[in-house]
Amino acid sequence: MKKIKRIATYCFLSVAAIVSIFPFLWMLVSMTNKSVDVTQGKLLPGTHLFANIKELFATVDMVPAFVNSTIIAVITTVLTLLIASLAGYGFEMYRSRGKDIAFTILLVSMMIPFAAIMIPLYRLFGGVSDTMPWIGIDTLAAAILPTVTTAFFIFFFRQNTKMFQKELIEAGRIDGLSELGIFFRIYVPTMKTTYAAAAIIAFMNSWNNYLWPLVILQSPEKRTIPLLISNLGSSYAPDYGVIMTAIVIATLPTAIVFFIMQKHFVAGMMGSVKG
Amino acid sequence: MKKKLLFLFTAMFILILAACSSSDDSSGDTDGGEDTGKEAASTDKITVWAWDPNFNIAALDLAKEAYTGDVEVEVIENAQDDIIQKLNTGLSSGTTKGMPNIVLIEDYRAQSFLQAYPDSFVPISDYFNPDDFADYKVATTSLDGEQYGLPFDSGVAGLYVRTDYLEEAGYTVEDVTNITWKEYIEVAKAVKKATGKSMLTLDPNDLAQLRMMIQTAGSWYLDEDGSTPHLANNEALKEAFEIYKELMESDTVKVVSDWSQFVGAFNSGEVASVPTGNWITPSVKASADQSGKWAVVPPPKLSIDGAVNASNLGGSSWYVLNVDGKEAAAEFLADTFGSNTEFYQNLVTEIGAIGTYKPAAEGDAYNAADEFFGGQKIISDFSEWTKEIPGVNYGMHTYAIEDILIAEMQNYLNGKDLDQVLKDAQTQAEAQVK
Repeated sequence: MKKIKRIATYCFLSVAAIVSIFPFLWMLVSMTNKSVDVTQGKLLPGTHLFANIKELFATVDMVPAFVNSTIIAVITTVLTLLIASLAGYGFEMYRSRGKDIAFTILLVSMMIPFAAIMIPLYRLFGGVSDTMPWIGIDTLAAAILPTVTTAFFIFFFRQNTKMFQKELIEAGRIDGLSELGIFFRIYVPTMKTTYAAAAIIAFMNSWNNYLWPLVILQSPEKRTIPLLISNLGSSYAPDYGVIMTAIVIATLPTAIVFFIMQKHFVAGMMGSVKG
Repeated sequence: MKKKLLFLFTAMFILILAACSSSDDSSGDTDGGEDTGKEAASTDKITVWAWDPNFNIAALDLAKEAYTGDVEVEVIENAQDDIIQKLNTGLSSGTTKGMPNIVLIEDYRAQSFLQAYPDSFVPISDYFNPDDFADYKVATTSLDGEQYGLPFDSGVAGLYVRTDYLEEAGYTVEDVTNITWKEYIEVAKAVKKATGKSMLTLDPNDLAQLRMMIQTAGSWYLDEDGSTPHLANNEALKEAFEIYKELMESDTVKVVSDWSQFVGAFNSGEVASVPTGNWITPSVKASADQSGKWAVVPPPKLSIDGAVNASNLGGSSWYVLNVDGKEAAAEFLADTFGSNTEFYQNLVTEIGAIGTYKPAAEGDAYNAADEFFGGQKIISDFSEWTKEIPGVNYGMHTYAIEDILIAEMQNYLNGKDLDQVLKDAQTQAEAQVK
């Protein structure tokens, strides 16, 4: 009986694994095939890999887009971690009137879809374009600012902070650390796993963000990778081999970030569930 | 330490607030009427948004070469859906920052932009003569008698046929020239029987075929006002639905689900005909081994009175936005797409784009024979058919209504009564497009 249960479990897990791995496999295989082969559903690797790579770099400016995406994703991630963890820590550690109401309002804001605030945001950035051109429309700063810290990250940090031992803070205070000192010297080092998990999520969100960079960035040299890929598919006769190559390149950084922090990520997510 | 930080935060906060309030003032001005977007392109440089590097962007590059003025033209490539998203966001936010001088818009969508943002586009009839262009194209690019768009490519439709398959089934090209859809189905059945090949592809999620059919009768999803749905009691649409179902049930259709399968079907010789817009020519010719086996005839028409063997599918036009540099932008368009016959010959020979500029039809490139199509002068033929296309007002909601029809078409194919199908579609459309 136990054995049957086991077999069933493994069967289910295998199916789930195939379902989640297949798109990646398809992407990698298609990268080596001609466009025609991709559309005909060829599942075997071909010989077109280098031709596709060459074609990709000849038709679009992959390198600047990669640089832009990296700048935006890294800055967004760093700022998100800093602000969200400070906020989450504050919400959990300090007592103040109205804290719970403020937190509820924050959570409710998670329900507002980005598309709903996009036009006012665009208007806002259009307005500051004259007085502060460095954060106006068509700047990387404008692409970064509205995406820094969401209610989700603050919630995420607050949940994880619940596991943080308050005695450590008391100890810090007795030893004469300032409040910020306690945060940076005690809280941050102990919460490494939480930071790692949040970093992966923030980086992936920012790296894959499409809608806001699309409307706010206008010049071709400021494009991010997702916008570039969208362009590749826009012609009346798209080259799917080249598109797949671009997608593989676009996927690499998130995959690398994930694998580096994988151990911490799992621990961090477990923590938030327990909390 | 703490106080310093607090001071810093407060200072930043005030700064941001100040910046926002001053921004409100400036955007308030822009709303007032005249746009003075300082950041928008100055007159010695204009920007253009278009989407296909092998087609409309290639055409722009040719136009840049042909243009004699000294304005720098920057072409920015964006996917078509991206252009729509960016335009909608930019124009509805009321700021002209970051908007281009010229934008390419598909004809089916043009009216919705012109009507939704009336002050954002510039009438350009002073710069070129709209009468030089095909009538149907002028109808789709103007609003309230004002000409806003400068026509780019013609979406004139044709029926691409495999002459070898037809022959096997006992038909000649003449037999499929200027026929009705009902006759087409008969040919389809014969071809299937003789060759085992399907007659055409249909994509259940794209009713382009339906659009092509009803335009042969001068009908559309919307009334002539461009905003009232015209589905129930639309005789043309009703017949188109019937033909669609008959085709589906005649076992002569290869069902496809996307563009690549559509192209793949005729490239691999699986279908005997392709009724679609002329822009498919390069894709048809991509299979060089099929050279000499193709011909193009006018598209089949509906049987109802007044229908003609001419229709349109797709096509787009250039629009000038109301931002700094609009005069330079309009002059650039007028000088190239608006009046240069020589330029139109290059468009045909180098990228295969057929315009709707009437005088261009006299040129050499338009009258060249195409060996792939057995020596047929297809460009010249297409230009002739362009003149016959019934002009319809594509109105505001072509794609919104099509989404409704796609669902209702499935109900119809599953046996629901046709009158009821169209009536239900009408109710849904009226509720949705208010």
